[in-house]
Amino acid sequence: MARLLSRRGFLVTGAALGGTALVAGIAGVGYLATVDVDGLDTFVDGDRAGLNAFVVVHDDGRVVVNVPRAEMGQGIHTGLAMLVAEELDIPFDDRISVVFPTEPLPAYSTWYNVLRVRPEEASGPVVWAGQRVLGLLGFIATGASSSTIALWHPMRVAGASARSMLIAAAAARLGVPVAELDTAGGFVRHAATGRSLSYGELAREAAVLPPPRDPVLKPEAEWRLIGRSQPRVDVPAKVRGAPVFGLDVVLPDMLHAAVRHAPVFGARVLRVDNGAAVRAEAGVVDVAIIDGRQVAVVAASWWRAEQAAARLEIAWTSTAADGADSDEMSARLQAALVSDAPYQNLDEGDVETLLGTGPAGVIEATYEVPFVTHACMEPMNATVIVRADGSAEAWVPSQGPIGVRTGVFRGCNWAGVEPTSVTSKITMNGGAFGRRSDLDVTAQAAFLASRHRGRPVKVIWSREEDIGRGLYRSHAAARMRAALGPTGLPVAYDARVAAQSVIESVAGRNLPFNPGPDGDALSVEGLDKPYYAIPSRRVRSQHVPGHMPIGLWRSNGFSFNTFFAESFIDECALAVEKDPLAYRRGLLQDRPRHLAVLDRVAAMAGWGTEMAPGRGRGIAIEECYLSVVAQVAEVTVAADGEITVDRVFCAIDAGTVVNPDAVVAQIEGGIAFGVTTTLMSAITIADGAVEQSNFHDFPMQRLANAPAVEVAIVESAFSPGGVGEPGVVPVAAAIANAIHSATGRRLRSLPLAVTETIGERRTRSVLPPRAA
Amino acid sequence: MTSFTVNGRPVEIEGQDDKPLLWILREDLGVLGPKYGCGIAECGACRVLVNGVSVPSCMTFASDVAGASVVTVEGLEAPDGTLSAVQQAWIDEQVPQCGFCQPGFMIAATALLAQVPRPTDAEIDGAISNICRCGTYPRIRRAIHRAAGALSAQG
Ligand code: FES
Ligand code: FES
Repeated sequence: MARLLSRRGFLVTGAALGGTALVAGIAGVGYLATVDVDGLDTFVDGDRAGLNAFVVVHDDGRVVVNVPRAEMGQGIHTGLAMLVAEELDIPFDDRISVVFPTEPLPAYSTWYNVLRVRPEEASGPVVWAGQRVLGLLGFIATGASSSTIALWHPMRVAGASARSMLIAAAAARLGVPVAELDTAGGFVRHAATGRSLSYGELAREAAVLPPPRDPVLKPEAEWRLIGRSQPRVDVPAKVRGAPVFGLDVVLPDMLHAAVRHAPVFGARVLRVDNGAAVRAEAGVVDVAIIDGRQVAVVAASWWRAEQAAARLEIAWTSTAADGADSDEMSARLQAALVSDAPYQNLDEGDVETLLGTGPAGVIEATYEVPFVTHACMEPMNATVIVRADGSAEAWVPSQGPIGVRTGVFRGCNWAGVEPTSVTSKITMNGGAFGRRSDLDVTAQAAFLASRHRGRPVKVIWSREEDIGRGLYRSHAAARMRAALGPTGLPVAYDARVAAQSVIESVAGRNLPFNPGPDGDALSVEGLDKPYYAIPSRRVRSQHVPGHMPIGLWRSNGFSFNTFFAESFIDECALAVEKDPLAYRRGLLQDRPRHLAVLDRVAAMAGWGTEMAPGRGRGIAIEECYLSVVAQVAEVTVAADGEITVDRVFCAIDAGTVVNPDAVVAQIEGGIAFGVTTTLMSAITIADGAVEQSNFHDFPMQRLANAPAVEVAIVESAFSPGGVGEPGVVPVAAAIANAIHSATGRRLRSLPLAVTETIGERRTRSVLPPRAA
Repeated sequence: MTSFTVNGRPVEIEGQDDKPLLWILREDLGVLGPKYGCGIAECGACRVLVNGVSVPSCMTFASDVAGASVVTVEGLEAPDGTLSAVQQAWIDEQVPQCGFCQPGFMIAATALLAQVPRPTDAEIDGAISNICRCGTYPRIRRAIHRAAGALSAQG
């Protein structure tokens, strides 16, 4: 491949100039300045012309869009390719294909997730340096519902830049001014003479031209694709059953490995009593201890390896957590809610005083949720080869190459091998939900591949290892208090959460530094309710150390905190005999965006209309991932306590929407994920070990209990917000509120169950003496 | 030695009596459409048609399919590549998210429509117990109705 042109060096003269001047004193700025975060380098390679890091045009007019984000079912490959096609002015048809680029260019960096500044608004020295440092580190990952937010602008710039270069190439070829040319259907046209040239025949000439300094983006009125549903580019192959997943990777001479992890997290392998016997079984190639913590069986067939692994007799070291169980761990959560020294995340106004003097009384309630896990349909897997020359290549259904690369290095290092290079091939992810941001299985595959140099090794975790020995969202509890004012609305709001910090756990496993649990935003998100007009607010958090490995999990802290806070707001409303919708409207008077979403979902659900006995409706709202989302759940509670969620209505303001049908699908999926969690999911611990192992005891929603779902996208002038996680967020509170409406029972712990004791169990709600 | 056909192709399997059909398909025959999701007949990702009946291949053995016709998701389309009515409906309704569970759902839907040409929602919910963690259920119902309509229009 020949790189023809570099804009490196003068990229910094553009918008980043202010940044350059300010940080010029810092060592390394000169080097950083050469990092191309715009990705506008071009190349020509055979019949392909790369017009920038995102757009490759073939001689025959096919366009390949490099999308440096993992497709895990959210439709991101389609949405981001649409943005390129929009600006490139080409139809969205099968001449467009999408690949996950293997080269970790700085332009692909997921810096937004760290810096939290939209690219189109990025300025200043910190952002400038952050973009470049994260770009150099190859920080490329998919998560936090951020892909459209982060690439909405860069992908359009890439398309517009490529189009402008193609026009410039045509102008040179035809000897006419650029201003006389336009584009349509993959051609540059000269209307005056009727001549036209295809993008394919212009691409190589375009690639030697300088990218435009400031490509002009289409005005909204001219959009043909953005906002109009397009079929997903990955769907046809998936419908044909094509082998697109990591699980489907087949390579010549490949070995297969099954693993066993310690039942109690943190235990190490003491010895394998029958290692030699298992090693001698037909088809078994290796029995290996990985990092002192897991045991792998390597064989010619995964199924044989798994059978052999089941026969391993492994003695594990004892740990301090050997006696841990769910009741004791829950007691520690509850104790943490009254600890002396919580971390103070937020303190506005005078919460403490007002709680002592709430004119209409003080409401207090305690809530709790258990551990849960991801249970991605595609079991965890990774395939790695370490060649004789030290180069490594990995095929992983992963949320990003940064995890794959780090995992390969880690696993190779366990075997004493230093890879000379790592190539990451990101396959389709069969679900991810945060789970595949981790590098555990990749490191295992790399370790085993280092022991079997020159042969690819594919590690697959059985479903039992996935559910019982994997990663978890933390359990959590909250104590919520509010002082109600004369109108019945809260004048003070005090939220306190106890959980095992996800940041602390993830960093401890995977980062060279650990910011520690204090101020872990992912544990408190959803608790502060900044959009509600409550003059005094306090949020505190208490990290509860534990032996469970905590991982990122679809919507993280929102998944419990919004359940806590939006259940609690309902309790406040009902305590003063206000309608929960009207009460929320009262708190949102200055928030037109939130009101519009709330009113929309209420209208969809026919809020306020009569329901049959045993049925109820509940509402909840959240602002998250730069979107505002509200839901109404309709439930039926049978005489025996069985809960059925009949329908869920959802309205979302996700800003400008690129591919509406994909947004609807994400919300539908998020609701299913949320309903499953709310009604069915609990990981419990006995003798230090997870008690669940497969779908018979960690059940999932199926067709028979999938509610009807209606989604409305609220028209919005905002820039795009996230949609992968918001659908999950309000579900639990909406259902709990609906159950209260149906039965008068307030359920305060997940999974929700209407029994004699649950619901009353953790109730300390002190209803105020009714003000006249 | 056990003989059967996979997507019309004759195969013979020897000495794999204890190995589930799922892994024979995936590892020995290179047929990767059926997926491993649970291994205990709970999730349906591995479903295949055996003489037209949808079965979980993770709990099916070579001896169970002796002489039978096994059809996987790869065998749903016509030899010329034309998608089946179920597959086409899956595209038209944009059913798949991650797609990992969908081979099993399309197999289950194909078997259902062969038995019940115009199923109600309740019949769909009762007949198909597969798991989709991505939550594509509303679209699966719609796609089955669409496929049913297309099939009955074909007569
Ligand atoms: S893998 Fe066979 S039913 Fe799940
Ligand atoms: S589409 Fe992902 S599990 Fe069904």
